[in-house]
Amino acid sequence: MSQKFQAASCVVATTDVAEACKDVNIAVMVGGFPRKEGMERKDVMSKNVSIYKAQASALEQHAAKDVKVLVVANPANTNALILKEFAPSIPEKNITCLTRLDHNRALGQVAERLNVPVSTVKNVIIWGNHSSSQYPDVNHAVIDSPDGEKAVRDAVSDDAWLDGEFIKVVQQRGAAIIKARKLSSALSAASSACDHIRDWVLGTPKGSWVSMGVYSDGSYNVPPGIIYSYPVTCANGDWTIVQGLSIDEKSRAKLDATADELVEEKALAYTCISE
Amino acid sequence: MAKDPVRVLVTGAAGQIGYALVPMIARGIMLGPDQPVILHMLDIPPATESLNGVKMELTDAAFPLLKGVVATTDVAEACKDVNIAVMVGGFPRKEGMERKDVMSKNVSIYKAQASALEQHAAKDVKVLVVANPANTNALILKEFAPSIPEKNITCLTRLDHNRALGQVAERLNVPVSTVKNVIIWGNHSSSQYPDVNHAVIDSPDGEKAVRDAVSDDAWLDGEFIKVVQQRGAAIIKARKLSSALSAASSACDHIRDWVLGTPKGSWVSMGVYSDGSYNVPPGIIYSYPVTCANGDWTIVQGLSIDEKSRAKLDATADELVEEKALAYTCISE
Repeated sequence: MSQKFQAASCVVATTDVAEACKDVNIAVMVGGFPRKEGMERKDVMSKNVSIYKAQASALEQHAAKDVKVLVVANPANTNALILKEFAPSIPEKNITCLTRLDHNRALGQVAERLNVPVSTVKNVIIWGNHSSSQYPDVNHAVIDSPDGEKAVRDAVSDDAWLDGEFIKVVQQRGAAIIKARKLSSALSAASSACDHIRDWVLGTPKGSWVSMGVYSDGSYNVPPGIIYSYPVTCANGDWTIVQGLSIDEKSRAKLDATADELVEEKALAYTCISE
Repeated sequence: MAKDPVRVLVTGAAGQIGYALVPMIARGIMLGPDQPVILHMLDIPPATESLNGVKMELTDAAFPLLKGVVATTDVAEACKDVNIAVMVGGFPRKEGMERKDVMSKNVSIYKAQASALEQHAAKDVKVLVVANPANTNALILKEFAPSIPEKNITCLTRLDHNRALGQVAERLNVPVSTVKNVIIWGNHSSSQYPDVNHAVIDSPDGEKAVRDAVSDDAWLDGEFIKVVQQRGAAIIKARKLSSALSAASSACDHIRDWVLGTPKGSWVSMGVYSDGSYNVPPGIIYSYPVTCANGDWTIVQGLSIDEKSRAKLDATADELVEEKALAYTCISE
C-alpha cells in the first residue's frame, strides 16, 4: 500500500517537505532537533536553525499565502524568528510560537491553589520566552466567583507564593513532567496548540485574553524584532496585543530578563547561520 | 444552566491508550461539548509516578469541561460513583506466553474489577471493556458483577467497525463520512467477521450498496476481510506499538453513540451480551450491529445472512465459546 494517502481520504503523510507544505492553511511545527545529553546549547541552536531555515523556504513557496504558523519545537521563540526571517513573504503577524501551554499551566496552578474549576480563572499572562526565563504574571488575572470577578491576588491572598513558588512551578513544569513520565509533555502541549490555533482563528471570548509568542513591535518596551509572548485578544483571524496594562517594578525586571535572553538567543542563532 | 458532571473511569490510564483517551474525554469528544466530566484514572502501583504525570498534564491543559481528576492505584476509590467505566487495563501478552497464561492473568484482573465496580460504581454504570481478550474479559466482568444490568457491559469492536469503514472509503476514494452500516460480527480477534453486505455509501445519486460501488466481490470477501482482521498487527509493525490513537477514538465513539444515540439510518458495532439473536449462542459477549437511543442499545434484527456469512458468524462464535470455557477453567484453578 502506498505511503501517500489520497486527498479524498483526508491525510497526506510524507517525508517530502514541499508536498507537506502544499496549500496548507495552518502549520504546526512540532518537528525539531531535540537536546541530547552532552549537547551544548549552541549545538542544539545550530541544528534547529538549519531546520527552520529550510522549512521557512518550503512554507513560503508552497503554503497558502496567508498560512498561520505555530512553532512548538524548542527553542520555540527563536525557531519562529528564524522561520520569519527566511520566509519574508509570509506576513510577520502570521508567525507565532506556543506559550499557551505555559499560560494554561499558570491557570491550572491558580485553580488548584484555590480549589476551583480552571474554567473560572482567566487573564494570567506569560511574558517572553518559552523557557525557564518566562514570566507568569497574575497581576491582571481574575477568577469568577459568586460575587462577581475577583482579582487572583486577592483570592489567593499569598503574595509570597504568587511571586515565588508559583512562578517557579510554572517555569519548571516541563521538567517536572519529564521526571514523572520519563517523557516530555505531549498531551498538554498538543491540547494547548489546539487552544492557540482555535482562539486565533475563531476569536477569544469577550473579556478574556490569552498568551501567544508573537513578533514584537516594541510594545511594553520590549525590543522589537524578536518573538515575545504577550497577552493578546483575537478576532477575525488576527491577534492584537492587549495594551495599557500596568507593569510594576518587579514585573518590569522580569519582562526585561526574558527579553534579554531572547536577544541573546537571536544573536547566537545568527552566528550559527553565518557559519 | 450547566449540567452536573459525569464521572468517567479509565483503567490502565497511565498506558498509551489511556494517554490518548483522557484528553479526548476532557475535551468533550466522548460525551459532548456541554457535558462536564470528572475523570477517574486507575493504574497499578508500578505506574504511580507516570499516572501522576498524566494528572499533572490534565491540570496543565486547563480543560474547561474537566471538573476534577481522581488518580489512584486503589480500585475502590477509582470505581466510586462512576457513571462510565472504560477498562483499558489488562495483562499484555508477552513473548513466550501461552494463550492460557494470558487468559488466566486477565480473568483474575476482571474478576476483581467486577467486584469493585459492583460495590462502588453508580448502579447503572455503563461499562466498555477494551483490554484483550476484550469479549471474554467483559464476560468475566459480567459474571462477577451480577447486579450490574447485563446490557450495561459491552466490549469494543467499534475500532474494527471504523477500520472497515476506512478500508471501504480508501478503496472508493471517498470521504469516510459517506460510508455506513458495515458490521463487525463476533470476537475482537482475527476471527471477527467484517461484513459489508448491508453497508451503503452516500453518492450524488442517493445511497448505493457498497458491494455495487466497489464492484469487486473477490476483494470484499478476501483481502478486505483479512486487512481488517489483521489491522492491529499491521499497526504494531508500523509503529512498534499497538494502536492507541484509533483505539481511544473508537472508545469515544462507542460511548458517545451509546449515550447520545446513533444517527437515524445508521447502526454501529458493539460487543454485547448475546440473547441468541442471529442463532449466535446466548451467554457470550458477541459483536452485533446495534442502534442506540435513550441510553440503550438494540440489536438490528432481520438482516439477511447468506451462507458464506453464516459460516463466519459461527466460526467466531465457536472461538468465543471456547474462550469462555478456557476462562472458566482458569477461574476454578
